[in-house]
Amino acid sequence: MQARLLEYEMKDLFRGELVRFTAEEPEFRARQEARWARDTEFHRLADSDPAQLYSDKKIKEWIEKNFEDGFKPGRYSFSIRALEDDKLIGFLGLWLNLIHSEVWVGIGIGERDYWGKGYGTDAMKLCLRYSFMDLGAQRVSLGVHAYNPRAFRAYEKAGFRLEGRTRQDIMREGKRTDSLWMGILREEWIQMQNGEQR
Amino acid sequence: MNDVLSGALVRLSAVDPDEFSKAFTGWRRDSEFMRLMDAGPIRLGSQKDSQKSIEKELEDEDLNQHWFTIRTLADDKLLGEIGLFVVSWPGRDAFVGLGIGDRDFWGRGYGTDAMKLILRYGFMEVNLSRVTLTVFEYNPRAIRSYEKSGFSHEGRLRRYLNKDGRRWDLLFMGILRDEWLEQNR
Repeated sequence: MQARLLEYEMKDLFRGELVRFTAEEPEFRARQEARWARDTEFHRLADSDPAQLYSDKKIKEWIEKNFEDGFKPGRYSFSIRALEDDKLIGFLGLWLNLIHSEVWVGIGIGERDYWGKGYGTDAMKLCLRYSFMDLGAQRVSLGVHAYNPRAFRAYEKAGFRLEGRTRQDIMREGKRTDSLWMGILREEWIQMQNGEQR
Repeated sequence: MNDVLSGALVRLSAVDPDEFSKAFTGWRRDSEFMRLMDAGPIRLGSQKDSQKSIEKELEDEDLNQHWFTIRTLADDKLLGEIGLFVVSWPGRDAFVGLGIGDRDFWGRGYGTDAMKLILRYGFMEVNLSRVTLTVFEYNPRAIRSYEKSGFSHEGRLRRYLNKDGRRWDLLFMGILRDEWLEQNR
């Protein structure tokens, strides 16, 4: 018998306490993403590729190809807006492994004024509710750079646990650094929602 | 770990558009077969026509469709087709369709064996939660075969079909993962 939520009421799965998930017009989202990409610190926290710049047009084409080209049952993408001022502050993508019911999540808060204030944590909480309550996921996984402790703490607050690390696989600023792997199981998330001790 | 694609009488094999369209064009001339397979008015068609539509079906290389041909273990003869189509991933429900085209193999356990294989494939490879099928009231041989494979009766659309001047029910059958595991321990 699977663990169940003690209290369950249908909620707006796309609205949290600080943020909401949205779909944006590709032109608009591409403009914001191109601007965020000019912030190399953001790029380094979000990605392990070398910082590169792309035109609004290129990013728009990429968004259209990946998110607008028909429904794919394994791929879900959202933009993130702050509730207080409705500003577009970031994005979140989910890859659902259909056979094994595992979700991989990637998130980026591009607006640095919104870093360290709980927006990313709130978006991750929404992502977990959506994954477990709508996609039928049994676990959710993510990867984070060891040099990004702010993100690591946010993921812990949302309920993720450190599961392992790949030692020194990333070279940044002349230093080798680890990749950390985190995950949360459905049962653990249900327990959190029910207020049970872990 | 067993070979999940081989049973007691048959094995599941890849759909070869050339081979399968030739076989299907032959089976299609058997109007009884077509009536048991399909609720629509029966039609005839060329091999080229079948091959085109089979090739089109195979273009979608996604996880929603798991489609096989059925061959005898004894002499590798192609005798039918079976396919799982995932209807809902969150619900992990798939629809199954089965046809034994060669009437020499009707009523001899070949279809039941193929269904058992696709259920094992569905529950152990695709990790489904349930498998659903529909069958026509005027096909008691298939109904018995599905019962033997482990399906339960779940409902019916009354007088849904119009064949031979009378109306017939469309039956829904299904099997849950837990039931399959219980039957196959």
